Amino acid sequence: MPTAQLPPVLKASVHDVRYLAGLLRGVNFVNKATVTVTDTGITITVEEARSLLATAFIFADIFDEFVYNAEKPSLENSSQASDSEDAEQENAAFEIPLGTLIECLNIFGTAGASASSSSSRARRWKRDDDDRGSENEDDNDGRRLGPNRGGDAGNTSIEQYFASGSEKRTGMRMSYAGSGYPLMLIIAEEADGPTTACEITTFDPEPHLELPFNANETELKIILKSSWLRDALSELDPSFEKLTFIGNPPPESAAATGAQTSARRKSAARSGALQPPMLRIQAVGGFGSIEMDYPNDREVLETFECAQRVCFSYRAVHVTRALRALQNSTKTSLRIDSSGLMSLQFLMPSPVPRSRPGTKSGTEAFIDFKILPLDDDL
Amino acid sequence: MRFRTTISNVPTFFRIIQAIEKLQRKFVMKFTETELHIICNHEANEGGIQVWSQIKVDSLFTAYRIQSNANNEISLALSSEALLLALKSATASAEAGAAGDVDEVVLKLAKKNGHAVLSFEIAGATRMGKSVRVAHDVRIDVMKPTDVALLREPMCPEPDIHILLPPLQKLRTIVDRMRPMSDILAVRANNSGRLTLSINTDSVKIDTEWRNCTNPKMSSFALYFVVFHGELTSLSAREGSQEEPDEPPDPEKMFTVLVSIRSFLKFLNSHVVSTTTIACVCQHHCMILYVYIGDVADAGGVLTFYIPAIIDDGDH
Repeated sequence: MPTAQLPPVLKASVHDVRYLAGLLRGVNFVNKATVTVTDTGITITVEEARSLLATAFIFADIFDEFVYNAEKPSLENSSQASDSEDAEQENAAFEIPLGTLIECLNIFGTAGASASSSSSRARRWKRDDDDRGSENEDDNDGRRLGPNRGGDAGNTSIEQYFASGSEKRTGMRMSYAGSGYPLMLIIAEEADGPTTACEITTFDPEPHLELPFNANETELKIILKSSWLRDALSELDPSFEKLTFIGNPPPESAAATGAQTSARRKSAARSGALQPPMLRIQAVGGFGSIEMDYPNDREVLETFECAQRVCFSYRAVHVTRALRALQNSTKTSLRIDSSGLMSLQFLMPSPVPRSRPGTKSGTEAFIDFKILPLDDDL
Repeated sequence: MRFRTTISNVPTFFRIIQAIEKLQRKFVMKFTETELHIICNHEANEGGIQVWSQIKVDSLFTAYRIQSNANNEISLALSSEALLLALKSATASAEAGAAGDVDEVVLKLAKKNGHAVLSFEIAGATRMGKSVRVAHDVRIDVMKPTDVALLREPMCPEPDIHILLPPLQKLRTIVDRMRPMSDILAVRANNSGRLTLSINTDSVKIDTEWRNCTNPKMSSFALYFVVFHGELTSLSAREGSQEEPDEPPDPEKMFTVLVSIRSFLKFLNSHVVSTTTIACVCQHHCMILYVYIGDVADAGGVLTFYIPAIIDDGDH
């Protein structure tokens, strides 16, 4: 059969699955997930209640090996050129039970929850672009951080040396032959230990919700340390039904850019009682309500852009779905557009510095949540 | 009927009962002059798992005295949980006595308020050095010899394959992950040291494979004790090289048995006692697991688990 001789659509391997498993766990709240494979990596998309869409972007460079061969839709030679063009455009997509995939990766119990390293090196969230499409931006960012990262690499490699002595790692090799074929995994813990072969049935992908974020009408844009958001969300009791995010323009926003920070702080303190908080999270449930205010402090809200008062409500369960992704993330970008669509992006730092001297450093993996607001009339 | 002994190896006894307690609430202990038999053969057990074990009296007890009309054997039915709790207090006092006090756990058969009990007398010392005596009674039912005679080990054909299992703790991690995905586990082994554990469902197929396991060379259960008293060193030295002329012609042939994954996990609870475990596969019939207690050098006994096969018409 000629089709059997085609190279597999995806071949990837990684020597330590913990980081990958951590990324997958971040979106593991619905079992059916759509995996899309492209030249640059893979994305995992899940959707809940037609109002929450979560996507994990995993770039090819976190894998030790990543080979993607576009699947030819058919062998008919009607018009070669356009066909091959189409094939380039087209990405391989399939649906898999995500929970099963994670269980398989953790079969030796060594893809545990401590996926990200404790060394949370400060990383600048790249300037928040509408989409992750602008490659140049990434490259600039990477180069700018280059020497700094080099220093870090020295530190972490020592750390890594100690870690490898005490902890076992699970290596994984993944292949996907094409639509209709199962996703094959080969997992091994150590060279002479047992190996596990898994075949996970794949399904044809079903169309997902389209939730385009209207970047031109961004009403609120915040970048903050993930732990600040995680602490707030983990405080919430499951009985809360509705979460409201309220943003207010920063006090004397015009002067703030030019003025000294100390002066600004003083004035903020003076007028503190009068000024509405810049970011307030309000939770309402059957047993009561709770309000959490974020202070106007660069330490907390690294970036804050808001032109006018913003107030949108979301289902609390949808927002708290992000907690697992927040667990391993360092920075969060929170944006709300004029229709109330909230976009949360979590930067997931890789535990091992991937930028070796001489090689181009890649983009950080991240997880993206898009949540539709509740209708205010209901 | 008289029975009195000192428990010299409380931790091992505790761990054995720990493994039993997960399996069955009420079980049978049969004391003979030389051995303690532990029997769990309740019909209602998950997947029909049974335990028939023999432990040498010397490996657990000292100053062992037993006397009865039934050929100096005493059989008791008792609650595994109650026994475990009594042994737990005995272990705790053994820890407290680590300061150097000799302490003693005496086990005897007694009758209190018209009920037969196993009475634990635990002598220990507090941290302050004061001596403490704790008595712990476990209510038991003494079994009639006629009832004891009805207890029969399951009949099994000659196993197709014997294989030494990897550390049970590792197996347990893997089987724990598989459990939510499937109810049935396929165990396969061959005579060249290969062992696989697999599940196969509509959504996932997982095979975990070990190579270089040891196939102990013997054909009957009686020989196992011989192995563990003298031959084991040569056994492990033989690992990997399988020149055995008397073995079946095809050492690559895999023998398969399907078992309930929950039963298998219950057996894996015995990882607390195990040092060495031999698995036997009787293809399409059952699986027998010999869990050796304590150090191999002084193999004090063996816990034998029987897990019946699940006959499945599927494509396993």
